[in-house]
Amino acid sequence: MAETFAPPRRIDWVGISFAVVLTLVIIFPLIVVGTWAFTNVWRYPAIIPQEFGLRFWSQTLARPDVWSAITTSISLACVVTLLSAIICLPAAFAFARLEFPGRSLLFFSFLAGQAFPKFGLLVAIAGIFLGLNLIGTFWGVVLIQLVGTLLFMIWIPVAAFQGVDRRMEEAARDVGASPLRVFWSITLPQAGPTIAAAVLLTFVNTFYETEGAWLIGAPGIRTMPVLMISFINNQPVIQYGAVLSVILWIPSFFALLFARRVISGGSFARGFGA
Amino acid sequence: MTLAAASDIVGASNKRRRPVGLLLVALPVLLVGWMVIYPIVAAVITTIWRPDANGRYGISFGTYQFFFSDGYSLANLSLTLWTTVLCAIFLVIICLPIALYLRFAKGRLAAYVQGLAIFPLFVPSIILSYAFIRVLGPNGMVDILLNAVHLPKIRSPYLTPWGPLIGLVWDNIPLTVLILIAGLGSVSDASIEAARDVGARSWQVLVHIILPRIGNSILVAVSFSVLGIFSAFTLPYVLGPAAPEMMGPFMQRTFRDLYDPPNAITQAVIAFLFCIVFGLFYVRSVVKNQRGR
Amino acid sequence: MAVLDIKGISKHFGAGVLAVDNLELTVGDGELVCLLGPSGSGKSTLLRMVGGFETPSGGSITIDGEEVIHLPPERRPTGMVFQSHALWTHMNVYKNIAFGLKLRRRPADEIKRRVDAVMELVGLAGYGERQTHQLSGGQQQRVALARSLVLEPKILLLDEPFASLDQHLRERLREEVRDIQQRLGITTLFVTHGQDEALSMADRIVVLRDGKVEQVAAPDVLYREPATPFVAGFIGTMNLIEGTVSNGTFSRAGFSSPLPVGDGPVTFAVRPEALVIAPAAGAGAAKIHRVTDYGTHAIVDLELPDGLRLKSMVPEARHWTTGQAVDLAPRAFSAYRDNALIYRSNAAR
Ligand SMILES: Nc1ncnc2c1ncn2[C@@H]1O[C@H](COP(=O)(O)OP(=O)(O)OP(=O)(O)O)[C@@H](O)[C@H]1O
Ligand SMILES: [Mg+2]
Repeated sequence: MAETFAPPRRIDWVGISFAVVLTLVIIFPLIVVGTWAFTNVWRYPAIIPQEFGLRFWSQTLARPDVWSAITTSISLACVVTLLSAIICLPAAFAFARLEFPGRSLLFFSFLAGQAFPKFGLLVAIAGIFLGLNLIGTFWGVVLIQLVGTLLFMIWIPVAAFQGVDRRMEEAARDVGASPLRVFWSITLPQAGPTIAAAVLLTFVNTFYETEGAWLIGAPGIRTMPVLMISFINNQPVIQYGAVLSVILWIPSFFALLFARRVISGGSFARGFGA
Repeated sequence: MTLAAASDIVGASNKRRRPVGLLLVALPVLLVGWMVIYPIVAAVITTIWRPDANGRYGISFGTYQFFFSDGYSLANLSLTLWTTVLCAIFLVIICLPIALYLRFAKGRLAAYVQGLAIFPLFVPSIILSYAFIRVLGPNGMVDILLNAVHLPKIRSPYLTPWGPLIGLVWDNIPLTVLILIAGLGSVSDASIEAARDVGARSWQVLVHIILPRIGNSILVAVSFSVLGIFSAFTLPYVLGPAAPEMMGPFMQRTFRDLYDPPNAITQAVIAFLFCIVFGLFYVRSVVKNQRGR
Repeated sequence: MAVLDIKGISKHFGAGVLAVDNLELTVGDGELVCLLGPSGSGKSTLLRMVGGFETPSGGSITIDGEEVIHLPPERRPTGMVFQSHALWTHMNVYKNIAFGLKLRRRPADEIKRRVDAVMELVGLAGYGERQTHQLSGGQQQRVALARSLVLEPKILLLDEPFASLDQHLRERLREEVRDIQQRLGITTLFVTHGQDEALSMADRIVVLRDGKVEQVAAPDVLYREPATPFVAGFIGTMNLIEGTVSNGTFSRAGFSSPLPVGDGPVTFAVRPEALVIAPAAGAGAAKIHRVTDYGTHAIVDLELPDGLRLKSMVPEARHWTTGQAVDLAPRAFSAYRDNALIYRSNAAR
């Protein structure tokens, strides 16, 4: 009998069961999709695909509807993110650092969109767009997606700007920097990483925005998620959907890489009222 | 994110900057006014202030009367309520234990569990729908595995009310967990140790110390999911049954396929009314939270 | 080099708070003046007004006779060192120090020369490429100092620059800063909480209380001749005994002493080292409450019959025991009435 004085390691059974169950429920389905994307032949009831391969990648990428959806999605997301940054970042700075009448009320006005069921709100907006002939147009979709980005593009940068130490900025004034120069050389670099994460998240969220695009954009504007819906509903070849899923997941992957810290940090959840 | 103590770096230029601040926030604020507040007000007005048979405008609840007397509309509404209530219950049952575990566990395993719980945030619902069909759909992966061990196939939830339900729960896990963890952050280790010290067992600590403190966070989490689920579109549209359908697809179909905006907007207003309590509570909590910081 | 002249300066925050109240102060060329006072007495506010970070509600600030009150901080010839050092964490040490020179568009070789020289001066030679988080607290504070010094400001402003450092480091940096200041002959205004710091560094000390100057004096004068009971109690240790004078004798409980002033209430002030105690035959004036031995000397805590505590400094602890009755003999003392000095005994001069 071996005797040790090391304290017995308690096995974290709860943690292990959570890990196993969550892996099964959350990772397993995605692995199945990933497998389908690299499968040439997989007939029921084989557990392992009969033939792996990239055949459907070339076929999917050869489809014109896929290409037009990719370009539509990317240009939409770029335009929306750019517009959002242009109008929101200065506003965020004003909320964080300037004094003006009604600041608090206006700051919280961005919550208005959160107080209503989202799709209901979209239908109400669509009712307005109907009269403006914006239904089915690129700019109609841009507008509706832009509204969806406001809350985050303002609240996260506001927190970032407020997180910059006032004394740092004062020290820069002290050595001779003008207010504008302070903003450019001190405030922005300090708040930069968080703001970059907000911009990235905005891009990704816009890229995946489905409901506004579907309601306002159809039939003229077909983004990747919208195309994916039609693949799911009408496309007998399973692999097309799987390949498109993998392509579709790329932006999320970058968000996962670069923005995770911001999300796990407290301020993100707090933005949701936690 | 506090707004309490923002004074200018240099007081001297304070007065000159006042209008600048307003100017900088004007665009996004106007956008919210035009794209959120105005449509909602307009939606309520246009569904009440309608022309009668002679084309004269007046107050009329016709579209609402139609909704509440139409069997199909009511079936859709009750399916939506059923899904929303069950989703909320499942979310609390699933996420509360995860959040509790993550609050007290440390180390690599806990980090892994947290990573998994947050992961669905990085999976768009459309990919989720597709994965759902490949796994739980007819001849999906589960069927394949069951068949391999000579068991009968499952009754697939695809295209039944359970489809959207499962998908929506999956989709809402991360934010629910994040909100609950943030809430649990307010329960200090010391208060738990103190309770332990006077002889409370684990479950007593849970019931008497932890739950009372995070009641509000649970309500916030539930409100947030209810607002998302009540008018969810993508998952019910792709995974749910064709009839009855949830409010999201129902509104979309009424608006786009039936070209009937008045009724679609009526349905939207009804959705607003059903969620108004949650919406107000949610907004109030966020405001309170931001102010308190 | 430079003279700082502050005239009738005040600062209101909102309606209620009067942080600095009609204050006058002149800092001579090359002088180091310490602002000393309890928390909230307006030290930082005064300093920040000189630096241009707060706008005074009234008054004037001139540097070498030139009014600076309307200049923004970046146009004032002042250099400020903050308590939190406020280093720019996205720049390395060299860039932190060079930033101000870059803004002034100095040629690159001049920047390099001046930054290197100042880094040498503050003892940071070779640290240029370090990131700010790779420095110790003391080094970070040196960078903050160098960042100001490199611009050769006319007035150096320091707001509790050593508050976040440990005792040892604080003492060392205190000496270094004093050295550098004297070597450069730079006019300096220094805020501190600690009287040690003020006494050891300053040419003159300004004691602030509620935004007003209580006394301005050289450290030794301040210690020996505090102008008010507040300064007396704030600088060093002082026994303050409230009592009354009648017929030339001050008395309070068991304590009495001749005091040639008019009858009435008086605050009697005597330092521990000037309060001599002797074993009493009978009940004595006071009882020993506790004896604390500091090795070089001992402090005896005394209790008057009405409960007032006094301190006396004695050479050795071993002659004294708790509970012992003693007689008190103040060797040097002063007396205050209505917040003003009315008498100082010969020995206290
Ligand atoms: N921005 C401000 N708004 C309102 N009141 C202020 C502000 N800054 C300082 N005060 C008030 O002015 C008074 C003086 O503050 P100041 O910071 O100058 O004190 P201090 O002597 O530096 O104190 P400490 O030693 O604690 O740093 C205090 O009562 C403080 O509450
Ligand atoms: Mg201070």
